[in-house]
Amino acid sequence: MTVWDSLLYDLFPLIWSGMITGCLYALGALGLVMIFKCSKVVNFSHGNVAGLTAFLVYGLSSGVLMSLSWGAAVLVAMLAAVAIAFLIYSIISPVVFESDLTSTIATLGFGLIAQGVTLLMFGADIVALDLPIPRFAFSVLGLFVTGYDLTVLAVAIVTIGALFIVIDYTKLGIAFRAISENPFAAEVCGLNLRSVHYFAWITAAILGVIGALLIVPTTFLSVTTVATFMLQAFAAAVIGGFASLPGALVGGVLIGILMNLFTFYVSPEYSSTFLLGVILVALNIFPNGILQKVGGSRV
Amino acid sequence: MSDLLTVRDLSVAYGSGAPAVKRVSFTVGEGAVVALLGANGAGKSSIMKAIAGLTPASGTVMFGAEDLAALPARTRVARGIVYVPEGREIVGDLTVRENLILGGYQKAAAERKQRMAMVLDLFPEIAEKADRQAWRLSGGEQQMLAIGRGLVANPRLLLLDEPSLGLAPLLVRRVFDRLAVIRRETDLAIVLVEQNLAVTMRLCDDLHFLRGGRIVGQRSAAELKDKAARQEAIDAYLGAAA
Repeated sequence: MTVWDSLLYDLFPLIWSGMITGCLYALGALGLVMIFKCSKVVNFSHGNVAGLTAFLVYGLSSGVLMSLSWGAAVLVAMLAAVAIAFLIYSIISPVVFESDLTSTIATLGFGLIAQGVTLLMFGADIVALDLPIPRFAFSVLGLFVTGYDLTVLAVAIVTIGALFIVIDYTKLGIAFRAISENPFAAEVCGLNLRSVHYFAWITAAILGVIGALLIVPTTFLSVTTVATFMLQAFAAAVIGGFASLPGALVGGVLIGILMNLFTFYVSPEYSSTFLLGVILVALNIFPNGILQKVGGSRV
Repeated sequence: MSDLLTVRDLSVAYGSGAPAVKRVSFTVGEGAVVALLGANGAGKSSIMKAIAGLTPASGTVMFGAEDLAALPARTRVARGIVYVPEGREIVGDLTVRENLILGGYQKAAAERKQRMAMVLDLFPEIAEKADRQAWRLSGGEQQMLAIGRGLVANPRLLLLDEPSLGLAPLLVRRVFDRLAVIRRETDLAIVLVEQNLAVTMRLCDDLHFLRGGRIVGQRSAAELKDKAARQEAIDAYLGAAA
Protein backbone atom coordinates (compact mmCIF):
# COMPACT_ATOMS: atom_id res chain seq x y z
CA MET A 1 0.00 0.00 0.00
CA THR A 2 1.42 3.37 -1.02
CA VAL A 3 1.45 6.43 1.20
CA TRP A 4 -1.29 7.92 -0.98
CA ASP A 5 -3.43 4.83 -0.57
CA SER A 6 -2.93 4.98 3.18
CA LEU A 7 -4.02 8.65 3.18
CA LEU A 8 -6.95 7.96 0.92
CA TYR A 9 -8.29 4.84 2.58
CA ASP A 10 -7.32 5.39 6.22
CA LEU A 11 -6.36 8.91 7.22
CA PHE A 12 -8.94 10.99 5.34
CA PRO A 13 -11.91 8.81 6.35
CA LEU A 14 -10.66 8.83 9.94
CA ILE A 15 -10.42 12.62 9.91
CA TRP A 16 -13.88 12.90 8.35
CA SER A 17 -15.58 10.62 10.85
CA GLY A 18 -13.61 12.25 13.68
CA MET A 19 -14.87 15.61 12.54
CA ILE A 20 -18.47 14.35 12.58
CA THR A 21 -18.15 12.96 16.10
CA GLY A 22 -16.24 16.10 17.04
CA CYS A 23 -19.25 18.23 16.11
CA LEU A 24 -21.20 16.38 18.79
CA TYR A 25 -18.42 16.82 21.33
CA ALA A 26 -18.54 20.52 20.43
CA LEU A 27 -22.27 20.64 21.19
CA GLY A 28 -21.62 19.17 24.63
CA ALA A 29 -18.60 21.41 25.19
CA LEU A 30 -20.50 24.54 24.18
CA GLY A 31 -23.06 23.82 26.88
CA LEU A 32 -20.39 23.34 29.53
CA VAL A 33 -18.60 26.52 28.45
CA MET A 34 -21.78 28.62 28.32
CA ILE A 35 -22.57 27.71 31.90
CA PHE A 36 -19.01 28.23 33.08
CA LYS A 37 -18.56 31.53 31.26
CA CYS A 38 -21.48 33.29 32.87
CA SER A 39 -22.04 31.54 36.18
CA LYS A 40 -18.49 30.22 36.81
CA VAL A 41 -19.86 26.77 37.60
CA VAL A 42 -18.45 23.59 36.04
CA ASN A 43 -21.64 21.63 35.50
CA PHE A 44 -20.75 18.00 36.22
CA SER A 45 -24.39 16.99 35.90
CA HIS A 46 -24.43 17.87 32.19
CA GLY A 47 -23.76 14.33 30.94
CA ASN A 48 -26.09 12.50 33.29
CA VAL A 49 -28.97 14.92 32.69
CA ALA A 50 -28.49 14.60 28.92
CA GLY A 51 -28.38 10.82 29.38
CA LEU A 52 -31.64 10.88 31.32
CA THR A 53 -33.33 12.87 28.58
CA ALA A 54 -32.01 10.50 25.89
CA PHE A 55 -33.58 7.65 27.88
CA LEU A 56 -36.79 9.66 28.09
CA VAL A 57 -36.89 9.79 24.28
CA TYR A 58 -36.40 6.02 24.28
CA GLY A 59 -39.05 5.45 26.95
CA LEU A 60 -41.61 7.78 25.38
CA SER A 61 -41.21 6.43 21.85
CA SER A 62 -40.70 2.71 22.50
CA GLY A 63 -43.75 1.98 24.61
CA VAL A 64 -41.78 1.61 27.86
CA LEU A 65 -43.40 4.79 29.20
CA MET A 66 -45.62 5.84 26.30
CA SER A 67 -45.88 5.27 22.59
CA LEU A 68 -45.45 8.77 21.26
CA SER A 69 -44.13 9.60 17.84
CA TRP A 70 -40.40 10.21 17.64
CA GLY A 71 -40.86 13.97 17.21
CA ALA A 72 -43.24 14.26 20.17
CA ALA A 73 -40.88 12.20 22.34
CA VAL A 74 -37.96 14.49 21.48
CA LEU A 75 -40.09 17.54 22.23
CA VAL A 76 -41.15 16.19 25.62
CA ALA A 77 -37.53 15.24 26.41
CA MET A 78 -36.37 18.73 25.46
CA LEU A 79 -39.00 20.25 27.76
CA ALA A 80 -37.89 17.88 30.51
CA ALA A 81 -34.26 18.94 29.97
CA VAL A 82 -35.26 22.60 30.18
CA ALA A 83 -37.25 21.93 33.36
CA ILE A 84 -34.38 20.00 34.94
CA ALA A 85 -31.86 22.74 34.06
CA PHE A 86 -34.25 25.35 35.47
CA LEU A 87 -34.69 23.33 38.65
CA ILE A 88 -30.96 22.68 39.15
CA TYR A 89 -30.04 26.33 38.66
CA SER A 90 -32.92 27.46 40.88
CA ILE A 91 -31.68 25.22 43.67
CA ILE A 92 -28.02 26.23 43.44
CA SER A 93 -28.58 29.90 42.55
CA PRO A 94 -28.40 31.12 46.17
CA VAL A 95 -24.82 29.80 46.38
CA VAL A 96 -23.72 30.63 42.81
CA PHE A 97 -22.78 34.18 43.82
CA GLU A 98 -21.19 33.03 47.07
CA SER A 99 -18.99 30.11 46.05
CA ASP A 100 -18.19 28.71 42.61
CA LEU A 101 -16.71 25.62 44.23
CA THR A 102 -19.80 24.80 46.32
CA SER A 103 -22.01 25.22 43.27
CA THR A 104 -19.75 23.01 41.18
CA ILE A 105 -19.76 20.27 43.82
CA ALA A 106 -23.55 20.55 44.04
CA THR A 107 -23.75 19.75 40.31
CA LEU A 108 -21.93 16.47 41.02
CA GLY A 109 -24.79 15.61 43.35
CA PHE A 110 -27.40 16.50 40.75
CA GLY A 111 -25.51 14.33 38.24
CA LEU A 112 -25.75 11.37 40.61
CA ILE A 113 -29.44 12.05 41.18
CA ALA A 114 -30.05 12.14 37.39
CA GLN A 115 -28.17 8.86 37.03
CA GLY A 116 -30.16 7.31 39.89
CA VAL A 117 -33.46 8.44 38.37
CA THR A 118 -32.39 6.93 35.02
CA LEU A 119 -31.60 3.62 36.73
CA LEU A 120 -34.88 3.66 38.62
CA MET A 121 -36.94 4.43 35.55
CA PHE A 122 -35.16 2.36 32.92
CA GLY A 123 -32.92 -0.11 34.74
CA ALA A 124 -29.28 -0.89 33.99
CA ASP A 125 -29.86 -2.63 30.68
CA ILE A 126 -28.38 -1.45 27.44
CA VAL A 127 -31.04 -0.42 24.95
CA ALA A 128 -31.08 0.61 21.31
CA LEU A 129 -32.54 3.99 20.43
CA ASP A 130 -33.54 4.01 16.80
CA LEU A 131 -33.82 7.51 15.44
CA PRO A 132 -35.28 8.28 12.00
CA ILE A 133 -31.98 9.33 10.50
CA PRO A 134 -31.70 8.99 6.69
CA ARG A 135 -30.03 5.70 5.81
CA PHE A 136 -28.13 6.34 2.65
CA ALA A 137 -24.45 6.35 1.84
CA PHE A 138 -22.25 7.40 -1.01
CA SER A 139 -18.60 7.75 -1.77
CA VAL A 140 -16.97 11.03 -2.73
CA LEU A 141 -13.23 11.50 -3.28
CA GLY A 142 -12.65 8.21 -1.50
CA LEU A 143 -14.68 9.27 1.54
CA PHE A 144 -17.59 7.10 2.63
CA VAL A 145 -20.32 9.59 3.55
CA THR A 146 -23.49 8.42 5.29
CA GLY A 147 -26.86 9.98 5.96
CA TYR A 148 -25.92 9.98 9.62
CA ASP A 149 -22.80 12.05 8.88
CA LEU A 150 -24.75 14.64 6.94
CA THR A 151 -27.51 14.75 9.56
CA VAL A 152 -25.02 15.40 12.34
CA LEU A 153 -23.22 18.00 10.26
CA ALA A 154 -26.45 19.79 9.34
CA VAL A 155 -27.83 19.76 12.89
CA ALA A 156 -24.49 20.91 14.33
CA ILE A 157 -24.12 23.73 11.80
CA VAL A 158 -27.69 24.96 12.31
CA THR A 159 -27.55 24.67 16.11
CA ILE A 160 -24.11 26.19 16.56
CA GLY A 161 -24.81 28.84 13.93
CA ALA A 162 -28.04 29.85 15.67
CA LEU A 163 -26.24 29.97 19.03
CA PHE A 164 -23.47 32.17 17.69
CA ILE A 165 -25.97 34.51 16.01
CA VAL A 166 -27.87 34.91 19.29
CA ILE A 167 -24.68 35.55 21.23
CA ASP A 168 -23.06 37.87 18.69
CA TYR A 169 -26.00 39.87 17.41
CA THR A 170 -28.78 40.07 19.99
CA LYS A 171 -29.33 42.10 23.14
CA LEU A 172 -29.47 38.87 25.13
CA GLY A 173 -26.13 37.87 23.62
CA ILE A 174 -24.61 41.19 24.66
CA ALA A 175 -25.90 40.59 28.19
CA PHE A 176 -24.43 37.09 28.17
CA ARG A 177 -21.02 38.33 27.03
CA ALA A 178 -21.10 41.22 29.50
CA ILE A 179 -21.93 38.99 32.45
CA SER A 180 -19.30 36.50 31.35
CA GLU A 181 -16.57 39.13 31.30
CA ASN A 182 -17.60 41.61 33.95
CA PRO A 183 -20.65 40.72 36.06
CA PHE A 184 -20.22 43.83 38.20
CA ALA A 185 -20.46 46.07 35.11
CA ALA A 186 -23.54 44.16 34.02
CA GLU A 187 -25.14 44.62 37.42
CA VAL A 188 -24.31 48.32 37.39
CA CYS A 189 -26.19 48.56 34.09
CA GLY A 190 -29.27 47.06 35.70
CA LEU A 191 -29.08 43.57 34.25
CA ASN A 192 -30.69 40.66 36.05
CA LEU A 193 -27.74 38.28 36.32
CA ARG A 194 -29.90 35.31 37.28
CA SER A 195 -32.10 35.55 34.19
CA VAL A 196 -29.01 35.45 31.96
CA HIS A 197 -27.72 32.48 33.97
CA TYR A 198 -31.03 30.72 33.29
CA PHE A 199 -30.59 31.39 29.59
CA ALA A 200 -27.14 29.75 29.67
CA TRP A 201 -28.24 26.72 31.73
CA ILE A 202 -31.33 26.09 29.61
CA THR A 203 -29.46 26.54 26.31
CA ALA A 204 -26.75 24.17 27.56
CA ALA A 205 -29.37 21.57 28.46
CA ILE A 206 -30.87 21.75 24.96
CA LEU A 207 -27.41 21.42 23.37
CA GLY A 208 -26.78 18.42 25.63
CA VAL A 209 -29.97 16.67 24.52
CA ILE A 210 -29.16 17.25 20.84
CA GLY A 211 -25.62 15.92 21.32
CA ALA A 212 -26.82 12.92 23.31
CA LEU A 213 -29.49 11.95 20.79
CA LEU A 214 -27.08 12.17 17.88
CA ILE A 215 -24.28 10.21 19.55
CA VAL A 216 -26.56 7.31 20.50
CA PRO A 217 -26.95 5.91 16.94
CA THR A 218 -23.17 5.22 16.89
CA THR A 219 -23.42 3.11 20.01
CA PHE A 220 -26.06 1.78 22.38
CA LEU A 221 -27.82 3.69 25.12
CA SER A 222 -26.82 2.85 28.68
CA VAL A 223 -26.80 4.77 31.92
CA THR A 224 -23.17 5.75 31.34
CA THR A 225 -23.07 6.21 27.55
CA VAL A 226 -23.88 9.89 27.48
CA ALA A 227 -21.82 10.67 30.58
CA THR A 228 -18.81 9.08 28.85
CA PHE A 229 -19.55 11.11 25.73
CA MET A 230 -19.60 14.24 27.88
CA LEU A 231 -16.12 13.35 29.15
CA GLN A 232 -14.85 13.93 25.61
CA ALA A 233 -16.91 17.15 25.51
CA PHE A 234 -15.24 18.17 28.77
CA ALA A 235 -11.82 17.61 27.17
CA ALA A 236 -12.95 19.70 24.20
CA ALA A 237 -13.96 22.50 26.54
CA VAL A 238 -10.58 22.31 28.31
CA ILE A 239 -8.71 22.50 24.99
CA GLY A 240 -10.76 25.56 24.13
CA GLY A 241 -9.85 27.19 27.43
CA PHE A 242 -13.21 26.47 29.11
CA ALA A 243 -14.28 30.06 28.60
CA SER A 244 -14.30 30.38 24.83
CA LEU A 245 -17.24 29.30 22.69
CA PRO A 246 -15.23 29.20 19.43
CA GLY A 247 -12.52 27.39 21.42
CA ALA A 248 -15.05 24.74 22.49
CA LEU A 249 -16.08 24.26 18.88
CA VAL A 250 -12.51 23.87 17.65
CA GLY A 251 -11.67 21.72 20.70
CA GLY A 252 -14.59 19.40 19.98
CA VAL A 253 -13.57 18.81 16.39
CA LEU A 254 -9.92 18.36 17.40
CA ILE A 255 -10.80 15.82 20.10
CA GLY A 256 -12.98 13.92 17.65
CA ILE A 257 -10.20 13.67 15.09
CA LEU A 258 -7.41 12.94 17.59
CA MET A 259 -9.45 10.22 19.33
CA ASN A 260 -10.19 8.58 16.00
CA LEU A 261 -6.55 8.65 14.90
CA PHE A 262 -5.31 7.34 18.23
CA THR A 263 -7.87 4.54 18.32
CA PHE A 264 -7.01 3.42 14.79
CA TYR A 265 -3.23 3.86 14.73
CA VAL A 266 -2.30 3.19 18.36
CA SER A 267 -4.82 1.40 20.52
CA PRO A 268 -8.53 1.60 21.27
CA GLU A 269 -7.90 0.27 24.79
CA TYR A 270 -5.99 3.34 25.93
CA SER A 271 -8.23 5.97 24.38
CA SER A 272 -9.35 7.27 27.79
CA THR A 273 -5.71 7.51 28.89
CA PHE A 274 -4.95 9.35 25.68
CA LEU A 275 -7.84 11.72 26.36
CA LEU A 276 -6.52 12.55 29.81
CA GLY A 277 -3.06 13.03 28.27
CA VAL A 278 -4.52 15.48 25.77
CA ILE A 279 -6.17 17.43 28.62
CA LEU A 280 -2.86 17.56 30.53
CA VAL A 281 -0.88 18.68 27.48
CA ALA A 282 -3.51 21.27 26.57
CA LEU A 283 -3.54 22.67 30.10
CA ASN A 284 0.25 22.99 30.08
CA ILE A 285 0.76 24.40 26.60
CA PHE A 286 -2.46 26.39 26.22
CA PRO A 287 -3.64 27.18 29.76
CA ASN A 288 -6.09 29.73 28.33
CA GLY A 289 -7.15 27.62 25.40
CA ILE A 290 -5.94 27.10 21.87
CA LEU A 291 -7.64 30.26 20.65
CA GLN A 292 -6.16 32.35 23.43
CA LYS A 293 -5.95 35.94 22.28
CA VAL A 294 -3.68 38.83 22.95
CA GLY A 295 -5.26 41.82 24.65
CA GLY A 296 -7.15 42.86 27.74
CA SER A 297 -8.48 45.82 29.57
CA ARG A 298 -6.49 48.97 29.58
CA VAL A 299 -5.98 50.94 32.76
CA MET B 1 -35.13 73.11 44.78
CA SER B 2 -36.81 69.93 46.11
CA ASP B 3 -34.72 67.04 47.34
CA LEU B 4 -34.24 64.23 44.84
CA LEU B 5 -32.05 62.09 47.09
CA THR B 6 -32.14 62.00 50.87
CA VAL B 7 -29.53 59.92 52.66
CA ARG B 8 -30.12 59.56 56.39
CA ASP B 9 -27.90 57.75 58.90
CA LEU B 10 -26.39 55.55 56.20
CA SER B 11 -23.91 52.96 57.48
CA VAL B 12 -22.00 50.36 55.52
CA ALA B 13 -19.99 47.51 57.01
CA TYR B 14 -18.05 44.76 55.29
CA GLY B 15 -17.95 41.49 57.22
CA SER B 16 -17.34 41.82 60.93
CA GLY B 17 -14.81 44.65 60.57
CA ALA B 18 -15.25 48.29 61.50
CA PRO B 19 -17.94 50.07 59.44
CA ALA B 20 -16.66 51.74 56.28
CA VAL B 21 -19.44 54.33 56.50
CA LYS B 22 -20.91 55.58 59.81
CA ARG B 23 -24.29 57.28 59.97
CA VAL B 24 -23.80 59.58 57.00
CA SER B 25 -26.59 62.01 56.07
CA PHE B 26 -26.91 64.42 53.17
CA THR B 27 -29.36 65.49 50.48
CA VAL B 28 -29.13 66.12 46.75
CA GLY B 29 -31.61 68.50 45.11
CA GLU B 30 -33.13 68.11 41.65
CA GLY B 31 -30.44 69.00 39.11
CA ALA B 32 -27.82 69.64 41.83
CA VAL B 33 -24.23 68.43 41.79
CA VAL B 34 -22.93 67.28 45.15
CA ALA B 35 -19.38 66.14 45.74
CA LEU B 36 -18.04 63.74 48.33
CA LEU B 37 -14.41 64.49 49.05
CA GLY B 38 -11.96 62.57 51.13
CA ALA B 39 -8.81 60.51 51.15
CA ASN B 40 -8.65 56.85 50.20
CA GLY B 41 -10.66 54.71 52.59
CA ALA B 42 -12.89 57.60 53.68
CA GLY B 43 -15.97 55.64 52.59
CA LYS B 44 -16.87 57.62 49.48
CA SER B 45 -17.27 54.68 47.09
CA SER B 46 -19.11 52.65 49.73
CA ILE B 47 -21.71 55.42 49.98
CA MET B 48 -22.12 55.40 46.20
CA LYS B 49 -22.52 51.62 46.08
CA ALA B 50 -25.02 51.72 48.92
CA ILE B 51 -27.14 54.30 47.08
CA ALA B 52 -26.93 52.19 43.90
CA GLY B 53 -27.98 49.07 45.82
CA LEU B 54 -24.72 47.28 45.15
CA THR B 55 -23.73 46.76 48.76
CA PRO B 56 -25.82 46.09 51.88
CA ALA B 57 -26.31 49.13 54.07
CA SER B 58 -28.38 50.32 57.00
CA GLY B 59 -30.09 53.69 57.33
CA THR B 60 -32.49 55.38 54.95
CA VAL B 61 -32.05 56.26 51.30
CA MET B 62 -35.04 58.07 49.82
CA PHE B 63 -35.35 58.81 46.12
CA GLY B 64 -38.00 61.49 45.94
CA ALA B 65 -40.70 60.05 48.18
CA GLU B 66 -39.68 56.43 47.68
CA ASP B 67 -37.64 54.45 50.21
CA LEU B 68 -35.05 52.45 48.26
CA ALA B 69 -34.31 49.94 51.04
CA ALA B 70 -36.09 46.98 49.46
CA LEU B 71 -35.14 47.70 45.86
CA PRO B 72 -32.40 45.70 44.14
CA ALA B 73 -29.79 47.46 41.99
CA ARG B 74 -31.60 46.81 38.70
CA THR B 75 -34.81 48.40 39.99
CA ARG B 76 -32.87 51.44 41.14
CA VAL B 77 -31.45 51.73 37.60
CA ALA B 78 -35.02 51.58 36.29
CA ARG B 79 -35.95 54.39 38.70
CA GLY B 80 -33.12 56.50 37.24
CA ILE B 81 -30.25 55.99 39.70
CA VAL B 82 -27.17 55.09 37.65
CA TYR B 83 -23.72 54.39 39.02
CA VAL B 84 -20.56 55.01 36.99
CA PRO B 85 -18.01 53.04 38.99
CA GLU B 86 -14.46 53.82 39.88
CA GLY B 87 -12.07 52.21 37.38
CA ARG B 88 -14.70 52.58 34.61
CA GLU B 89 -15.74 48.90 34.63
CA ILE B 90 -16.54 48.90 30.96
CA VAL B 91 -16.80 45.50 29.25
CA GLY B 92 -13.57 45.34 27.27
CA ASP B 93 -14.54 42.64 24.79
CA LEU B 94 -17.75 44.40 23.82
CA THR B 95 -17.62 47.16 21.24
CA VAL B 96 -18.28 50.74 22.21
CA ARG B 97 -21.77 50.45 20.72
CA GLU B 98 -22.48 47.21 22.61
CA ASN B 99 -21.35 48.82 25.87
CA LEU B 100 -23.83 51.62 25.24
CA ILE B 101 -26.59 49.09 24.50
CA LEU B 102 -25.74 47.50 27.83
CA GLY B 103 -26.18 50.90 29.51
CA GLY B 104 -29.66 51.21 28.07
CA TYR B 105 -30.55 47.54 28.52
CA GLN B 106 -33.77 48.31 30.36
CA LYS B 107 -34.91 50.90 27.84
CA ALA B 108 -37.16 50.28 24.86
CA ALA B 109 -35.26 50.02 21.58
CA ALA B 110 -36.38 53.41 20.25
CA GLU B 111 -35.47 55.29 23.43
CA ARG B 112 -32.16 53.45 23.70
CA LYS B 113 -31.29 54.35 20.13
CA GLN B 114 -32.12 57.99 20.76
CA ARG B 115 -30.06 58.11 23.95
CA MET B 116 -27.12 56.41 22.23
CA ALA B 117 -27.20 59.01 19.46
CA MET B 118 -27.18 61.75 22.09
CA VAL B 119 -24.20 60.17 23.89
CA LEU B 120 -22.22 59.68 20.67
CA ASP B 121 -22.94 63.28 19.83
CA LEU B 122 -21.69 64.39 23.23
CA PHE B 123 -18.54 62.27 23.00
CA PRO B 124 -17.36 62.38 19.37
CA GLU B 125 -14.08 60.72 20.43
CA ILE B 126 -15.88 57.42 21.03
CA ALA B 127 -18.39 57.93 18.22
CA GLU B 128 -15.54 57.50 15.76
CA LYS B 129 -14.70 54.17 17.37
CA ALA B 130 -18.23 52.86 17.92
CA ASP B 131 -17.48 49.45 16.43
CA ARG B 132 -14.12 49.03 18.13
CA GLN B 133 -13.70 46.78 21.17
CA ALA B 134 -13.73 48.90 24.31
CA TRP B 135 -10.39 47.61 25.62
CA ARG B 136 -8.72 49.21 22.61
CA LEU B 137 -9.77 52.71 23.72
CA SER B 138 -7.45 55.07 25.57
CA GLY B 139 -8.04 55.68 29.28
CA GLY B 140 -9.84 58.98 28.61
CA GLU B 141 -12.03 57.42 25.95
CA GLN B 142 -12.88 54.56 28.28
CA GLN B 143 -13.95 57.08 30.92
CA MET B 144 -16.13 58.85 28.36
CA LEU B 145 -17.63 55.50 27.43
CA ALA B 146 -18.33 54.70 31.10
CA ILE B 147 -20.10 58.05 31.58
CA GLY B 148 -21.86 57.68 28.22
CA ARG B 149 -23.03 54.19 29.15
CA GLY B 150 -24.55 55.65 32.30
CA LEU B 151 -26.26 58.42 30.35
CA VAL B 152 -27.90 55.98 27.91
CA ALA B 153 -29.97 54.75 30.86
CA ASN B 154 -31.53 58.25 30.97
CA PRO B 155 -30.76 58.74 34.66
CA ARG B 156 -32.25 61.30 37.00
CA LEU B 157 -29.33 60.83 39.38
CA LEU B 158 -25.82 59.96 38.20
CA LEU B 159 -23.38 58.56 40.76
CA LEU B 160 -19.92 59.35 39.38
CA ASP B 161 -17.09 57.61 41.18
CA GLU B 162 -13.68 59.21 40.61
CA PRO B 163 -13.99 59.96 36.90
CA SER B 164 -10.53 61.58 36.87
CA LEU B 165 -8.75 58.51 38.28
CA GLY B 166 -5.68 57.58 36.23
CA LEU B 167 -6.25 60.25 33.59
CA ALA B 168 -3.76 62.84 32.34
CA PRO B 169 -4.69 66.44 33.29
CA LEU B 170 -5.72 67.30 29.74
CA LEU B 171 -8.11 64.34 29.64
CA VAL B 172 -9.49 65.19 33.08
CA ARG B 173 -10.32 68.66 31.83
CA ARG B 174 -11.95 67.22 28.71
CA VAL B 175 -14.11 64.82 30.73
CA PHE B 176 -15.17 67.54 33.17
CA ASP B 177 -15.92 69.95 30.32
CA ARG B 178 -18.40 67.36 29.03
CA LEU B 179 -19.88 66.96 32.49
CA ALA B 180 -20.31 70.73 32.60
CA VAL B 181 -22.18 70.56 29.29
CA ILE B 182 -24.44 67.81 30.66
CA ARG B 183 -25.05 69.89 33.76
CA ARG B 184 -25.88 72.98 31.71
CA GLU B 185 -28.19 71.26 29.26
CA THR B 186 -30.06 68.77 31.45
CA ASP B 187 -31.66 68.65 34.89
CA LEU B 188 -29.58 65.65 35.83
CA ALA B 189 -28.49 65.50 39.47
CA ILE B 190 -24.98 64.20 40.13
CA VAL B 191 -23.21 62.83 43.17
CA LEU B 192 -19.53 63.08 42.43
CA VAL B 193 -16.77 61.31 44.31
CA GLU B 194 -13.41 62.87 43.54
CA GLN B 195 -9.92 63.45 44.81
CA ASN B 196 -9.21 66.18 42.28
CA LEU B 197 -10.33 69.21 44.23
CA ALA B 198 -9.76 71.80 41.52
CA VAL B 199 -12.10 70.28 38.96
CA THR B 200 -14.61 69.30 41.62
CA MET B 201 -14.96 72.88 42.86
CA ARG B 202 -15.71 74.04 39.30
CA LEU B 203 -18.59 71.64 38.85
CA CYS B 204 -20.32 71.23 42.20
CA ASP B 205 -22.94 73.09 44.20
CA ASP B 206 -22.15 71.45 47.53
CA LEU B 207 -19.12 69.57 48.84
CA HIS B 208 -19.12 67.13 51.75
CA PHE B 209 -15.82 66.22 53.36
CA LEU B 210 -15.43 62.67 54.57
CA ARG B 211 -13.00 61.12 56.95
CA GLY B 212 -13.05 57.66 58.52
CA GLY B 213 -16.51 56.96 57.13
CA ARG B 214 -18.08 60.14 58.57
CA ILE B 215 -18.98 63.50 57.09
CA VAL B 216 -16.74 65.96 58.90
CA GLY B 217 -17.64 69.13 57.03
CA GLN B 218 -19.81 70.63 54.35
CA ARG B 219 -19.42 73.74 52.20
CA SER B 220 -21.19 75.19 49.20
CA ALA B 221 -19.16 76.03 46.10
CA ALA B 222 -19.81 79.72 46.78
CA GLU B 223 -18.38 79.39 50.29
CA LEU B 224 -15.24 77.81 48.87
CA LYS B 225 -14.31 81.14 47.42
CA ASP B 226 -13.29 81.92 51.00
CA LYS B 227 -9.67 80.97 51.66
CA ALA B 228 -10.30 79.32 55.06
CA ALA B 229 -13.13 77.20 53.70
CA ARG B 230 -10.97 76.19 50.76
CA GLN B 231 -8.25 75.16 53.22
CA GLU B 232 -10.80 72.94 54.99
CA ALA B 233 -11.54 71.29 51.65
CA ILE B 234 -7.84 70.79 51.01
CA ASP B 235 -7.40 69.29 54.49
CA ALA B 236 -10.24 66.88 53.77
CA TYR B 237 -8.67 65.94 50.49
CA LEU B 238 -5.38 65.28 52.28
CA GLY B 239 -7.13 63.35 55.02
CA ALA B 240 -6.15 65.96 57.58
CA ALA B 241 -9.57 67.38 58.46
CA ALA B 242 -10.40 67.35 62.15
